[in-house]
Amino acid sequence: MFPWVYGFEWTAGNVIFLGLFFTVVIVILTTVTVAVVRSRRAFKERRHHEVKWESTFEDLGSEARPCRHQLSGETDQRMCRHGFECKDCSFHKQMLDSAYKLVEAESDRYYHRGHAWVRKESYSTVIIGLDDFATRIVGPKARAKLPKIGRMIHENGTAWRFLLGDESVRVLAPVSGQVIEHGGPDRGWYLKVKLLDQGADLRHLLTGNEVNPWMEYEMARLIRMIPESCQAGLTEDGQLVDDVTAKCPSLEWDLVCSEILLEP
Amino acid sequence: MSRAKEKPEGAPRYAMTIDLDKCTGCGACMVACAVENNVPPAQSGANDRNGTTLMRVYAMSNKQVYPHAKQVFVPMTCQQCEDPPCETVCPQNAVEYDWTTGIVAQIPVRCLGCRYCMVACPYHARAFNWWDPTWPEGMEATLNPDISTRSRGTAEKCNFCHHRRQLARERAVHEDREMCEDEYQPACVEACPVGAITFGNLEDPNSAVSKGFAKPEAFAFVEKLGTKPKIRYLSSQKWVHDMARSGVPGKEATNG
Amino acid sequence: MDKTAISRGLQRAPLGQFLLWLGPWIALLVFGVYCAYLCLRYGLHLTNMDNRFAFGAWIFLDLTVIALGAGAFFTGFLLYILKRKELRAVINSAVTIGFICYSGAVVILMVDVGQPLRAWFTFWHPNVHSMLTEVTFCITCYLGVLAFEYIPILLKNRKLRQIPSFLVFEFNMHKVMYVLAGAGTFLSFFHQGSLGGLYGVLNGRPFVYRESFGIWPTTFFLFIVSAAAAGPSFILLTTWITSKVTKKRLVTQEVYESLGKISGYILIGYVLFKTIDTLVWISMTAPGMGVHPDSFFASKPGYTALHLLEVTIFGFLPMAIYMTKRLRSQIKWLVTAAVLTCLGIVVNRYILTIQTLALPTLPFDELLSYMPSWQETGAFLMVIAYGMIVYSLSFRYANLFPLERELQRN
Repeated sequence: MFPWVYGFEWTAGNVIFLGLFFTVVIVILTTVTVAVVRSRRAFKERRHHEVKWESTFEDLGSEARPCRHQLSGETDQRMCRHGFECKDCSFHKQMLDSAYKLVEAESDRYYHRGHAWVRKESYSTVIIGLDDFATRIVGPKARAKLPKIGRMIHENGTAWRFLLGDESVRVLAPVSGQVIEHGGPDRGWYLKVKLLDQGADLRHLLTGNEVNPWMEYEMARLIRMIPESCQAGLTEDGQLVDDVTAKCPSLEWDLVCSEILLEP
Repeated sequence: MSRAKEKPEGAPRYAMTIDLDKCTGCGACMVACAVENNVPPAQSGANDRNGTTLMRVYAMSNKQVYPHAKQVFVPMTCQQCEDPPCETVCPQNAVEYDWTTGIVAQIPVRCLGCRYCMVACPYHARAFNWWDPTWPEGMEATLNPDISTRSRGTAEKCNFCHHRRQLARERAVHEDREMCEDEYQPACVEACPVGAITFGNLEDPNSAVSKGFAKPEAFAFVEKLGTKPKIRYLSSQKWVHDMARSGVPGKEATNG
Repeated sequence: MDKTAISRGLQRAPLGQFLLWLGPWIALLVFGVYCAYLCLRYGLHLTNMDNRFAFGAWIFLDLTVIALGAGAFFTGFLLYILKRKELRAVINSAVTIGFICYSGAVVILMVDVGQPLRAWFTFWHPNVHSMLTEVTFCITCYLGVLAFEYIPILLKNRKLRQIPSFLVFEFNMHKVMYVLAGAGTFLSFFHQGSLGGLYGVLNGRPFVYRESFGIWPTTFFLFIVSAAAAGPSFILLTTWITSKVTKKRLVTQEVYESLGKISGYILIGYVLFKTIDTLVWISMTAPGMGVHPDSFFASKPGYTALHLLEVTIFGFLPMAIYMTKRLRSQIKWLVTAAVLTCLGIVVNRYILTIQTLALPTLPFDELLSYMPSWQETGAFLMVIAYGMIVYSLSFRYANLFPLERELQRN
């Protein structure tokens, strides 16, 4: 196998065969090593949360990923390929620069595709909450496991977890920062977060006119998950009921939450 | 050690002739071979297909009925092919054509036991050690000290009693002379009571073997396969020659 | 009970029912391992192989499963190199089956050789002229490639993916998967071929010896083509069987039809090539070695019929079915063609491994017969049981069919 082994000869056959073999082995080992090295680098540079989100995003069904500009009617059917990270998306920049400008509503909330919202408290602190739609889907019976004070949360990482029985679903964090206060559920679960960088960059969050079309889309998505027999009991007085999954026994809390909160 | 690609100057090429007109099918050659080569005693379940028979006598008939029925006995062993099909197929280089003697060598300690060489050999020359070799109490005394025993799970075949050549050469060196070719005779040659087997050096034109090869009665089995066997069988009967050319029972060779 | 380990949105049987399904397979595995142990401990005389039937049921099994497991490399090639996107629906299943087939084959091989502890000798003192050396090197390498392709599938399990390092590693492996697919294709090309070459080079056996292109006999290329044809068919078959057993829709009709069409195209090449090769063998190769093919099975004409069947019923017929659009749209015809194609592989490998050794090579030989012993059969079944268990566990806890979640919602 190697030149120093007894009986080895430098024949053409040996050179070609072993040459090819060692080449293939080196290619395979190099490839796997590259994957390992890249993984370790992601951890060292603390980018592993980004990588986790990138991987999770790939597993979301195409239904969960319409581009925000499709929802606002600006463009035809388009699937987001950028992990909802509109900040450095070339298409989003292109849309902003184009003739159609969105009118900024007075609403002070910025919505993440995972249904968490952000409200600016001061230059460097924000409040993070869960929107009404998702709150009604999670229901009052679920217990929230909020992060400890002082803990770091990462954008597109976990903000907090909801637990019901032995199942759990996480809420996607809309921004990165340090938790300085948390509370709920009386006026809704919330986190007060001190931002990492000074000044919040919220360009990846939906706001103003974008919010309603998106909410309608999400509502349609929810209805598609619910069997016909239960659809009537979904709303009361024109509003979504408090505890969506409780109204329908065949509906699984875990499944519906995973679809809406984007945890495949 | 590098394998020589050509025959060294003056090296012998050992071959055999077996006279089928003389062979009585007594089987003395088989017994002598087994004893000489430390073949272990057969264990429960052994039969003619899984026993270790490095030399084996077969009966070949012309498949006719009386009064035309004829039969010969054919001692069949490793043909020590010049182009051995077993050599090219061994994955570990455990089979090697020895250019210094013309014998196809088998390295038992390198054999993996994959049995590919056995599939490749058309002469059924190779046997596999299906059992762990054991000698009943007291029978170790029958072992030949000049040859090793082989472990379970390896293939083996006739090697023209190569150890006898080593002994003959050692004796010659000890006595400060050249070795005579007659001094080296495999066990089967010695044991045959009618002298049907002749053994010698093909490179020597005067040896009995070389003369035997040149006779018109000499033929090889399934020569068309291109293995270039170094054993010639002698027979004065034409039907034997015709049968041997074809590899299929009862069929004569086609033209082609 | 183990619901949190099962991917979201997928229905799986209750744990008790699943264990009931696994039970008999585990029992069979235990029995098979015992048989293998007996052979390793006491010697290969416990099998019915002998000096004339040096290769037996195990080698036949090896060749068959490796050909059927070719779906792994071929689907990988079609998906990652030729960008046939619809095959993403079955790639995970194909890789799992490939991993099972190759690891099972290697385990059986270790029992089959007389001295398994000397297996490294082939690597240390390789004989580059031997087809078996080529097979050994390539299969070992390829098993490594398959392991690296299979592990990411396991890491995507719902519980395991929560471990950050697993998910990040899986993600990075996925990014470089096309390199592994390419290496796998290269290796598979050679070892599938060399398995055929094993027989085509035997100039001592006129029944299998064939003409060569360079150093490679025609059986080298025939094996590659037949494996490429069988791969997609076997995936079609296993996917359909799995969906029937689990009573779920796992892939769309489009995927089945795509697999069938690919298999069909390759079968055209195979039937053509094999016919020409057989004709050349009958008219030129075998007579040149002193044998007319008529005489091989003169005493048993049924054996010759098997050769004809391989190319007609198991080769031409499924090809015709696959290439007919009207039949291809019906799943029952696709499955029939898939079964026939896979059986064609089984028949072809049987002819080469078992029939070759049964045939006489010397004029005083008889036609021999061989039937595996119960220990051999047990070890054979061990591989089958192992495959069922690994596949069942993979199906339950990993996401073998990405389209399943979408399909079961509708």
